Amino acid sequence: MPDRSPLGPTAEGTGNPSSGPARVLVLLYAIFALAAGARAAVQLSTRFSDAPVAYLLSALAAVIYVVATVGLARGGRGGRRTALAAISVELVGVLVVGTLSLADPSAFPDETVWSGYGRGYGFVPLVLPVLGLLLLRRTAGRKAADPA
Amino acid sequence: MTPSLVVAATVVSAAVTVLGLASTVAGRRIGLIHLAGAGLLEVLLLVQAGAAAVAMAGGTTPEDTPTFVAYLVGVLLIPVAGVLWARSEHTRWAGSVLAVASAAVGVMVWRLLQLWEATGA
Repeated sequence: MPDRSPLGPTAEGTGNPSSGPARVLVLLYAIFALAAGARAAVQLSTRFSDAPVAYLLSALAAVIYVVATVGLARGGRGGRRTALAAISVELVGVLVVGTLSLADPSAFPDETVWSGYGRGYGFVPLVLPVLGLLLLRRTAGRKAADPA
Repeated sequence: MTPSLVVAATVVSAAVTVLGLASTVAGRRIGLIHLAGAGLLEVLLLVQAGAAAVAMAGGTTPEDTPTFVAYLVGVLLIPVAGVLWARSEHTRWAGSVLAVASAAVGVMVWRLLQLWEATGA
């Protein structure tokens, strides 16, 4: 009966409580890397002179998402350290750019991924780094208890 | 690019998202119903891409054509990637992976419609 469920066969245990959520987060990061990267590529190639700062920020955001995606996906100590650095920059970036874009809209004539704390993207850019840091903290806590 | 197609794609993507999350809650991997839902979603997206390609060949182009085309093609890849990834995931998080992918499609089709309606000239 259990394997006949339309919702799919019974799942295997992970043996690693955070590997599943980590995968979901990696996918979210991958989608944002793609979205920010495509946006930056279009903006830079078609109308760079309109708003160079905003478009370079889009490109920077894209690079940071890619680095964070790779770091999270690779895992291990090096991967986690890379991800931690990228996600920290990302959190600072979204807060600083978000604040500046609201305080001085004329400095940002076109939207970036981080404008208005990511409101163009359902505020996901603001939530993503917080989730990332929480996840990294959880894995770090467990690794400390079980050095490998 | 018709709103009815976008609404249909949104409904299907929302259903797949809910089903994916249901699998995670129920402690299951993804099943046939997820594959069927994601398949239907992909068909709708292909129809949409075809309709947009025909309209653009006929001279109706959105103002921001490069972005529009990037979204149009990019959105086609997401259900495929989501299903492949979810099938390789043997834990209960398979459904969540598919749910995230599907929700992203639901958002992207509206952005596509928005870009399309900003028709240039």
